[in-house]
Amino acid sequence: MVRNRTHIPQLSPIGCDFAALLAITAIGIALPFFVESRYFLSQLTLFLIWATVVSQWNIVMGFAGIFSLAQMALFAFGGYFTAVLGKYFGVNLAIGTFIAGFATVGVSLIIGFACLRLRGIYVALLTFAITQTAVLLVNSDTACIIGTGATCQTLTGGQRGLSQFGDYGFRELLGRDYQIGNFYVALATMVLAIGLSILIVRGPLGYAFRALRDNEAVAVSVGINRYKYQLLVFAASAFVTGIAGGVYAAHFKVVGPSILGFPVMAFLVSMLVVGGLGKLWGPIVGAALLMLIDEQLKDFAEYRNMGLGILIVFFIVLAPDGLVGMFEKIWQLLRNRRPQREDNNSAGRVAAKKGTLQNFEGN
Amino acid sequence: METVILVLVSGLTLSGMYALSAIGLSLTWGALGMLNMAHGAFLAVGSYVCFTIITQLGAPMWLAIPMAVIISGLVGLLVYLLIVRQMFRHPAFETNIIIATIGLAILSENTILNFFGAYPFRQPLVIEGGFRLSGIFIPYQNIAILASSVVLVGLVGILLGKTRTGRAIRATSMNKDAALLMGVPVGQVYAQVMAVSGCLAAVSGIMLSTITTLSPTMGDAPMVKAFIIVAVAGLGNVYGAFFIAIGFGLLEAIFQFTFGVRLAFPLLLLLVIASLIWRPNGFFGSATILRN
Repeated sequence: MVRNRTHIPQLSPIGCDFAALLAITAIGIALPFFVESRYFLSQLTLFLIWATVVSQWNIVMGFAGIFSLAQMALFAFGGYFTAVLGKYFGVNLAIGTFIAGFATVGVSLIIGFACLRLRGIYVALLTFAITQTAVLLVNSDTACIIGTGATCQTLTGGQRGLSQFGDYGFRELLGRDYQIGNFYVALATMVLAIGLSILIVRGPLGYAFRALRDNEAVAVSVGINRYKYQLLVFAASAFVTGIAGGVYAAHFKVVGPSILGFPVMAFLVSMLVVGGLGKLWGPIVGAALLMLIDEQLKDFAEYRNMGLGILIVFFIVLAPDGLVGMFEKIWQLLRNRRPQREDNNSAGRVAAKKGTLQNFEGN
Repeated sequence: METVILVLVSGLTLSGMYALSAIGLSLTWGALGMLNMAHGAFLAVGSYVCFTIITQLGAPMWLAIPMAVIISGLVGLLVYLLIVRQMFRHPAFETNIIIATIGLAILSENTILNFFGAYPFRQPLVIEGGFRLSGIFIPYQNIAILASSVVLVGLVGILLGKTRTGRAIRATSMNKDAALLMGVPVGQVYAQVMAVSGCLAAVSGIMLSTITTLSPTMGDAPMVKAFIIVAVAGLGNVYGAFFIAIGFGLLEAIFQFTFGVRLAFPLLLLLVIASLIWRPNGFFGSATILRN
């Protein structure tokens, strides 16, 4: 930073990011006035929901270094919780979604208490096992809570999922254009998600995680408690993820075990990887691009998942920092000097240097 | 008495399959430091290859199984050369390899799906008959599964304990850099480990497909269990993985008998999480194997 003081005065990194977020918000608010097609608006809403989920997964996995594979489980929990509140307790989904956010925080704390004290790789193992268990439990759910026989209604709806649990009430408010309401709710959720990401990545927590990644021994010795900070990020991201689940349920009017399945996870992982894992704006770029590609290739549906698999492997092997990482590299090459903005990249470079040193140090 | 035998037979059959999967996973974790999320897909690949060889080429069992195992070993080798080796340099190898193998799993499962469809084929490898033990019918199939997994685990044990290759693998698992400095061809060891892991996955998959049916996602559930076994045993500990696999298989059979199939696995998982909080490096894990 000091080195580049001679250059044109600039916004601080955090200022830049918030300015970009503001611009995106403005575009988002204006968008429904230019979009005629209902289908397109619905797809845009889905994009906002996925961008939210992926951005939270990104700060958990790419930034806080928690190898969590439970992101979809948390998302599904938010959706199911909202649906259950609406269906069995008649709660308005707007309130229900909010409550679901807090309930998801509760679940994430339980998972976090159980897993985050363990070493990184165990977190991946256990969160994966927890997600698989959730699928198993939902799919085999046959215990009726209302009615018996033909009228049997299980808590989670089993393999069919839950439906008919109400909506946000935009239909009465906006009439035919009620989908615009859902769009704005999703937009607000995504802005919340990115705002949270910026605060975590650029704020004090960001420094803590960068220190932990660059040199864990030193970081711990100056009193940075990895467990505490990871739990904090995990819970904060779970809040937004749970809300996103509720928005998903309200928008599509159905939640089923399919959102816990491999195809959805593959889609989101490819967004994460194509955009750039650990890059603040990676998830948005990745989600936008993947939604576009998916839309174009609707006719080749049977090859969709194969394509996603190839895409994931291709990017993670050849461009592990994703498109955003590639842009950053090209940008630096064009400027042909050290980056002015101190972002994830510098930490990455230090880590890379550490990686090469480790070959000699052993561990 | 009858229930005890019943639980023992089904538990030990499960154990045999889990042990082979878990040892494959444990080897790759120990030597390469990678969590292979495509292991379940390897299981499926192995059993579909075996199925194809038998039904399309009409090969007999004694030829088909080794061929399928060798082909799966080559698949493991190919994965190492094309994917794993390219990624070692990246500082975030541990996270990235998880994602890469998730991508690989999706790719291979969907390739199988597009090629064979979702029809639940039966593996044409059935050993007829069985015998009775105090009134309980015990199929030879289950005995064959258990026996072959014990033999294979023994072979892996000999490979690791008695041969030069095994010594190189163990040295690499303990300390990659020291091994490299002592002249161990670490790259070659990695390739060997991936190939062996692919072979073990194939055997495990073929066994599994003989008692259930073939499906592109058949390996996913056993993989989760193998993960858990490896975690409880201590990542990278091959012998520990074998004993935990036996214990886990028996415990699963007991839980299924007492709590029902639906709740058996979630309860086991709770038990596992509790035991991991108690022993964070697993039962047989030592901190030196773990690298981070």
